[in-house]
Amino acid sequence: MPAPFLSPERNMPMFLKIEKLVMQFGGLTAVDSFSLELQPGELVGLIGPNGAGKTTVFNMVTGTYKPSAGKIHWLDQDITGLPVHQITAKGLARTFQNVRLFAEMTVLENVMVSMHITLQASFWKAMLGLPHYRKEERRIRDEALEYLRELGLAHLADEKASSLAYGQQRRLEIARALATKPRLLLLDEPAAGMNPLETKDLAQLVREIRDKYGLTVLLIEHDMKFVMGLCERIKVLDHGITIAEGTPSEIQSNPHVIKAYLGEPKHA
Amino acid sequence: MTRDRVKLVLNILALLLLFSILYFFDRYGSPYHVRILNNMGIFITLAVSYNLVNGYCGVLHLGPNAFIAIGAYTSSLLTMSPLEKQMNFIIEPLMWPLSVLQAPFSLSLICGGVAAALFAFLISFPVFRVRGDYLAIVTLGFGEVVRVLCNASQSVTNGPLGLKGLTPHTNLWWSWGIAVLTLILVVRLVNSSYGRAMKAIRDNEPAAMAMGVNPFRHLLMAFLISAFFCGVGGGLLAHLITTISPTLFTFFLTFNLLIIVVVGGLGSTTGAVLGAILFAWGGEALRVVESPMNLGFMTLPGIPGMRMVLFSVILMLVIIFMRRGIMGHREFSWDWILDKLQRKEAELKKP
Repeated sequence: MPAPFLSPERNMPMFLKIEKLVMQFGGLTAVDSFSLELQPGELVGLIGPNGAGKTTVFNMVTGTYKPSAGKIHWLDQDITGLPVHQITAKGLARTFQNVRLFAEMTVLENVMVSMHITLQASFWKAMLGLPHYRKEERRIRDEALEYLRELGLAHLADEKASSLAYGQQRRLEIARALATKPRLLLLDEPAAGMNPLETKDLAQLVREIRDKYGLTVLLIEHDMKFVMGLCERIKVLDHGITIAEGTPSEIQSNPHVIKAYLGEPKHA
Repeated sequence: MTRDRVKLVLNILALLLLFSILYFFDRYGSPYHVRILNNMGIFITLAVSYNLVNGYCGVLHLGPNAFIAIGAYTSSLLTMSPLEKQMNFIIEPLMWPLSVLQAPFSLSLICGGVAAALFAFLISFPVFRVRGDYLAIVTLGFGEVVRVLCNASQSVTNGPLGLKGLTPHTNLWWSWGIAVLTLILVVRLVNSSYGRAMKAIRDNEPAAMAMGVNPFRHLLMAFLISAFFCGVGGGLLAHLITTISPTLFTFFLTFNLLIIVVVGGLGSTTGAVLGAILFAWGGEALRVVESPMNLGFMTLPGIPGMRMVLFSVILMLVIIFMRRGIMGHREFSWDWILDKLQRKEAELKKP
């Protein structure tokens, strides 16, 4: 029974709520008063010119940077400033703008690293090779292979991660993020460096994994065709300030957005 | 027979072979050969555990000499009888609980390992606040601190006089038994999920963190396990040499271990073993260069320390021509050999 003094809206499960985040590097304000609320299952895009502070927002949400001010609420918990690995364990996973794979490890091992947080057996069981650990290791291997199959990388499982083609490396990053079993997936320029055909496949893939794993997706992307075709809601940043928010068609006709991307129209 | 069965049988056969070789040397070998083999076993223990931190976690840790010193002193003080201790500590008597405690060799080794791991735990908080060169300097500092403390605490370590007349407990069974045990445990660890987490931290720490790996926890784990086995190795070393003093545990010892793991291949346990064997054997074989040499037309005088010059040259050559050491990140595996054999068989069967 809900407590009587709680207002009705308190009973709504809060998913992700970002309140007035500020990030200052010395005298530079990289992000100013950034607010965002996500509902479960949404596919939201974050766009803006270079240096707008998009990746900084990601870094604050995932714990890499500690915000100078503001709060991040996740499922009714305040996660502002928690260490990265704890935030990941709470169900937020990310990919990186510049691919950051474990280059010396195989494709399969890359995904298996993400499954490490699900491991129950302690290290001495691993050192002694006890059955409990072996069972867990088999489970991790099988599940990791499942994620590779999902992303179409299963045939490359034993290759070194650094030997993959660029597009495949990006896919592996997504597989690795999925293996942490997130509820919110943050994709930082997933289509960067991809050709139009790969980009189209990627959009399809993002939709598929969202439906299959019940994810909410927040993504940064410069490819406008990709963002407009995929995202249900878009937020535009410029110089750290939110300048627009709305559906793709609203964004496309917003004069502030056009100004930020193309500059002021010249008057004759 | 399944692959796993075959590998188990091969492992047991390899162990039997190793121990029959040891038995042969134990029975018929000269004390000189036995000594070299003992050194090999101990250096395998030290190098494999050192490599766990340096090779698998990618952390340049330069203080294993501290762990070895702590292990050596702890286990020596435990195996010496109260009477021996009284005879050793002539300037200042040994402080109380240590002066009466005595333990069998096996227990003293474990205590040595635990003491080293405890020390590692204490220093881990400042050490893992930094990375890279800074971490190297911090660990180097702690290594030096321990040596200086050994020199200064007359009532615990007997200062520069050291401990003399230890019972030579270390024999081939002890040194190689512990080496094999260390090898099995470390290999299991690095091939496990915990080992993968460590390698992930080495390859890309921010990404490892984003995948939910807690870097401090895993670095600490590797550091403590490594310190434990270094401590045990120190205990073995003390009871092989039978006389220990602070000069034994200078940075020079760390430098030797570093040569072993770099030449063998950072991040390869096989490499660490090979490096240790080459080092223990090469160290003796190269003694030739330190004795006077008659080249027919002239006689070169023997220069003590010439071996180390040669070692440095070898290290430089390895770094220039084989940047990743003898093994790189590769490991010895039965799978590789069995695959080769099967392929050959298949080729022979083809008409």
